[in-house]
Amino acid sequence: MTIKILAFAGSPRRNGNSETLLDWVLASMREDPEVSVEKIALTEADVNPCKGCNACEKLNRCIQRDGWDPVHDKIIEADCIILAAPIFCMGINAQAKALIDRTQVFRSRKYVLKLPIVPEERKGKRLGIFLSTAGQNWPHVFDAAKPSVKCFFHVIEVRDADISYLTINGVDEKGAIVTHPTAKTDAEQLGHATITELKKRLAG
Amino acid sequence: MKDLVIKVLGISGSPHRHGNTETLLDSFLDGAREAGAEVEKVVIKEISYSSCKGCNACHKTGECIIRDDVIGLIDKILAADCIAVASPIYSMGITAELKSLIDRAQYLWARKFILKTLYFSSDHIKKHKGLFISTAGLSWDNVFDAAFPAITAFFNGAGFEYYDNIIANNMDAFGGVKKHPTALKEAFEKGKKVVESLEKLNTPE
Repeated sequence: MTIKILAFAGSPRRNGNSETLLDWVLASMREDPEVSVEKIALTEADVNPCKGCNACEKLNRCIQRDGWDPVHDKIIEADCIILAAPIFCMGINAQAKALIDRTQVFRSRKYVLKLPIVPEERKGKRLGIFLSTAGQNWPHVFDAAKPSVKCFFHVIEVRDADISYLTINGVDEKGAIVTHPTAKTDAEQLGHATITELKKRLAG
Repeated sequence: MKDLVIKVLGISGSPHRHGNTETLLDSFLDGAREAGAEVEKVVIKEISYSSCKGCNACHKTGECIIRDDVIGLIDKILAADCIAVASPIYSMGITAELKSLIDRAQYLWARKFILKTLYFSSDHIKKHKGLFISTAGLSWDNVFDAAFPAITAFFNGAGFEYYDNIIANNMDAFGGVKKHPTALKEAFEKGKKVVESLEKLNTPE
């Protein structure tokens, strides 16, 4: 059995706080030999914003030919999808929002064309993780990102109850997360717990 | 003070030209024009800019290292008395393009809070009004909620009071904003009202 993990590093800054948090999760997942991980850095992936043309409601595909095409296929194949993104100006950063908006093609497939996103037997077996970091210390700093994240997972057939969240506030400058008291341990625990749960679901 | 002209800047954040949100913005701007304002509209899909790189260089210099069309747009925003920022709701949030503009205004935040070279007095903020204009296909009452915090952050950064929202949901059921019973009229009236209010605020007793 191979467990496929697809991870998006959504920040424009490579190896910053949100990507470091992601790397900790991925490293703990990779400890299991059955796990295969692919990480996509959105800043290098050429995923443009949705044009709002609604063509996908008829075509069942996006009219734009860009880095979204391979991402679309990988989202379908993955057992677990992880989105890591920082909070900029009280919301998810623009590059990650562009990825979320491009999943409109899945929404059209699901609700307009009434076609499956994944084969029936894989429904309820996919897990999602949202990882985020913010410079602000406010406890509500992640709140406005979550509805869009829920949309993202909902249309790609990850149930609301199957999304895990790990959010770390008060980390601004690059590397600040390294000295955070709990972030690394929490990330590793989340990685291990996710693989355990995936194995249970995929065996069942 | 007879020459007082209120400057209103509309920013259309939709990738889709002349759709529901831009139509609602146009109605607001028509109302502002009728009240005597000087009106300009910027359609952000027609200008060229990239997203914030998160490099934090502006935390040291107060300037963005990316020199593209955003710089001129933010200058226009700072010179306006009223800004109307418009975006449809995609996936429970504002469009990626508008979020990209908002993220780029990070250098104003840096000037205010790190370098302390930018300060807006309470009188300035009172005389600068920001409105958020939005439409959503879904009927849910909470469909705009996740958009407000980023808009609030943007208005705060640029020295604008968050004056009002012009929002209309359930577009899918209405078949578009033109078939909505009240939205376009409300937008027009709010455009007039905000200009009248700004004229009053800018006229000495």
